[in-house]
Amino acid sequence: MKVLGIETSCDETAVAVIQDGRIILANLVASQTELHARFGGVVPEVASRAHVQALNPLMDEALERAGCRFADLDGVAVTVGPGLVGALLVGIAAAKAVAFATGADFIGVNHLEGHIYANFIEHGPPEPPYVCLVVSGGHTMLVHMPGAHAYRVLGQTLDDAAGEAFDKIARFMGLGFPGGPALDRLAREGDPSAIAFPRAMIDTGDHDFSFSGLKTAVIRHMKRESAAGRDVDLADLAASFQEAIVDVQVSKTIAAAKELGVKAVLLGGGVVANTRLRERMEKAGAEAGIGVLFPSLKLCTDNAAMIAVAGASRLARGERSPFDVAADPALELA
Amino acid sequence: MIVLGIETSTPQTSVALGTEQGVMASMQLASKARQDDVVPILEHMLDWTGLELSHVGGVAVGLGPGLFTGLRVGVETGKTLAQVLSVPILGIPSLDVLAFGVRYTRRLIGAVIDARRGEVFHALYRGVPGGVMRVGEYGVAPPGHLAAELEAAREEVLLVGNGAILYRKELEEVGARVEFASPAQAHPQASEMVELAVPRFIREETDRSFEVLPLYLRKSDAEIAWDQRARGATA
Ligand SMILES: [Zn+2]
Repeated sequence: MKVLGIETSCDETAVAVIQDGRIILANLVASQTELHARFGGVVPEVASRAHVQALNPLMDEALERAGCRFADLDGVAVTVGPGLVGALLVGIAAAKAVAFATGADFIGVNHLEGHIYANFIEHGPPEPPYVCLVVSGGHTMLVHMPGAHAYRVLGQTLDDAAGEAFDKIARFMGLGFPGGPALDRLAREGDPSAIAFPRAMIDTGDHDFSFSGLKTAVIRHMKRESAAGRDVDLADLAASFQEAIVDVQVSKTIAAAKELGVKAVLLGGGVVANTRLRERMEKAGAEAGIGVLFPSLKLCTDNAAMIAVAGASRLARGERSPFDVAADPALELA
Repeated sequence: MIVLGIETSTPQTSVALGTEQGVMASMQLASKARQDDVVPILEHMLDWTGLELSHVGGVAVGLGPGLFTGLRVGVETGKTLAQVLSVPILGIPSLDVLAFGVRYTRRLIGAVIDARRGEVFHALYRGVPGGVMRVGEYGVAPPGHLAAELEAAREEVLLVGNGAILYRKELEEVGARVEFASPAQAHPQASEMVELAVPRFIREETDRSFEVLPLYLRKSDAEIAWDQRARGATA
């Protein structure tokens, strides 16, 4: 069974073809990062225009790499939310057209579910239940997953998403946009204990997050140092900031896993590309006797293989979406 | 040859199927809430007419200018259907479709689509045997600017489109020389587009599928702000 995946929820145009639930035949991403860099953030109208330009040639290329034709597709899966509504609509229009013209089964997929299911591509699904940490530029969320496609949101960020905090601090440090990867690299040369930044809500006992206080503390530190005429060691600053963010995520995730007695933690979303987060979560999981899964780097950031895999799993359960399914910019997991 | 027409540049979604013999099916829905309903409409049309998608030999899409989000849904749907069915595609400016709908007038034709933010998309046409011929460029401007342009033309004009209806007062100031087309013709119709497109498909004057893109005529707000800052910096 071959499933086409289409993902256009933000600034990446992505198309994938998968077979038998999780074998990747093609997984292509046309990144718009350069288009948005000068604006210091993703511009919705610019993103939507770029999707219309990139999507159709990308579908051709994906099918060619997968060695199949439109007629060979059994299913079409597309992100229907959350995301930028105008951007989502481009992918949804294309996906409906492909499914309608080929007769393939059509399924709308939640983008966050895609990030979670990215874990099953390389590892296959471990025995449920799981606790999932979904962290990206737009989301920071702890989720209890008792079984396939079942979700209960345990907690979320009360202000900035973790990825947003990374990007804002990176920009403040002059590392450009998006700054997450650059900050990660710089932090490797710094001392994570150099500056004691606050670990907000680490001991509150709930599953919520808050990163705006940390962001303010970092900016205040930089201003204070430069006002005093001292040079700020950017590597130390990056490492200390990153450590504070990672600390909170690791301790909250492992605490939730222990509390719910789950044996597997799944990480998903662009921020999971952060090497320190992967390292620390793996170590903490090993100490607690909890398995920690995360996708390889290419499957952490937005891609269509994860949408195809989540969609294929739903199609296998007999689920279908009607052709009048709408884009939902604020679509919830549960 | 059966041509499928898709036109979504205004708050109306319009889909039609037709041949050189005429229109076989045509459906218009003016809904502000749903701008992503081309495939469901097409599904109904095929159901009700008994026609099959595999019999479609060409796809014509309205390129705008118009409301960006809905416009993209129509263009993307049309491009993808043409790609999957391996049939030629033709992108047609939506202002041309509006003018084509009133081609039998002897007046100068002004096609005017509401561009929001107090502006209209517009272009001028003359009726010619078999259709219309555009005179001048596609533009976006406040209705007052268009009124001044029409005043300068010193000619009898027929204005058509939702922009003409919305700004009737401003555009009427040109005087008795201006006439307005019926509100029934306020939106570009896919059926008119099919009629306009069929001869071109037969002459094989089609577009390269991946190059079919909306006619925006306006940059994104972020780009406009960026350009203004850049201009400020060099000035
Ligand atoms: Zn994402």
